[in-house]
Amino acid sequence: MGSGPKQKDYEAPDGEKASAAVANAEYKYFKEKYDPLLQKMRDDSLTDKVDKTLRARANADTMQALTTGPMARQGLTGQGAEDLAVGYQGQLGAADKAAEDIRNQKQMNVLGVARGQAGDAQSGMAQAANLQVSEALTRAKNNQAVANAKMTAVGQVAGATLYQGLSNMGTEGGSFFTPADSEGNKIKGAKKRLGYSEMFKG
Amino acid sequence: MSNVANSLSGAVGIGSNYNLGGAGGTGLPGVQDPDKTYANITRQEYLDYVANYRDFENNLIEETQTDTSLIDSARENATVSSELAQGISDRNMSRYGGSLTPAQRDQQTRGLERANTLGRVQSVNDATIAQGELNDRKLGDLINIGQGVNRSSLSQMGSAAANATQRKNAYDSAKAASKAQTMSTVGSLGAMAIMAFAF
Repeated sequence: MGSGPKQKDYEAPDGEKASAAVANAEYKYFKEKYDPLLQKMRDDSLTDKVDKTLRARANADTMQALTTGPMARQGLTGQGAEDLAVGYQGQLGAADKAAEDIRNQKQMNVLGVARGQAGDAQSGMAQAANLQVSEALTRAKNNQAVANAKMTAVGQVAGATLYQGLSNMGTEGGSFFTPADSEGNKIKGAKKRLGYSEMFKG
Repeated sequence: MSNVANSLSGAVGIGSNYNLGGAGGTGLPGVQDPDKTYANITRQEYLDYVANYRDFENNLIEETQTDTSLIDSARENATVSSELAQGISDRNMSRYGGSLTPAQRDQQTRGLERANTLGRVQSVNDATIAQGELNDRKLGDLINIGQGVNRSSLSQMGSAAANATQRKNAYDSAKAASKAQTMSTVGSLGAMAIMAFAF
């Protein structure tokens, strides 16, 4: 008959002991290193730092879009302020939404990790780079572009009129609105004026 | 972290007899009783969650039902943007020497007020939609996390229940075997006694 069971025979093999020791060490390491960071991330997610960043960005985008062009028109006509107000509102709204989205994502990551669920490594700040131009800002920008184009067109017509009038006055016997030919005769009538014009001469 | 150290101190033997053979020289503390260590870790994880994240989670759940920050902010933005636009307009007028007649000035003010009112209405409407969308998504994410926790908890409970049933069955079998063995022994002794005294 053999002897009774020996406790040594029932000990865990070395591999299992090592595995348990490493698992325990890793757990302690994680708790010491990463748990404080996770708690810091939790606290960060409750602040409005992201809001401030994105609202500043929205402000810059709006001003860049609506105030980098010539401001003389707005200064002289008093128009355009309403476009800026609406564009600014729309862009701030977009910034607020993006900031809340980023904050939510961060909070879910923190909670997901704390609860042992998968955390998303993406911080969500990438969204800041894609802060969309709001519809209101686009509309305001378009309005301003149209207004500037009108102003430019008026300026071009006025410039051409002034140039042609002065040219007419430069001819001997000519007045501002009526040129004269080389013999001093005023050129009147559409047909003669067309013939006098150099536009269709080769 | 002292909590962790305390919770594990009873189960971890540093330099104990039950230390690692090959890894003992590396200073890696051995684990005397993995079962107890695991139990301590599981308990401590839950306590840490309650201490550090329970209120955080409850606030998030509450926010999904009550948060109106985007809508509030949209209302404030309307006031800020109106004042800003008026200021820029006034400065441009001053800078470029523009002068408006009283009628033009009235028209400008009315235009700004009209645009601001329409802009406020649109911003608040947009913010209301966005707020609902974000709150719903947040609630969905919370439910997903909760569901994941629930699933793993039920899985652990299932394992514990299966182990408990297995242990109970093993105990019942052992008890029945023991009873049968006793009866068998008693029967054998009885038979031997009868044989001894009867013949």
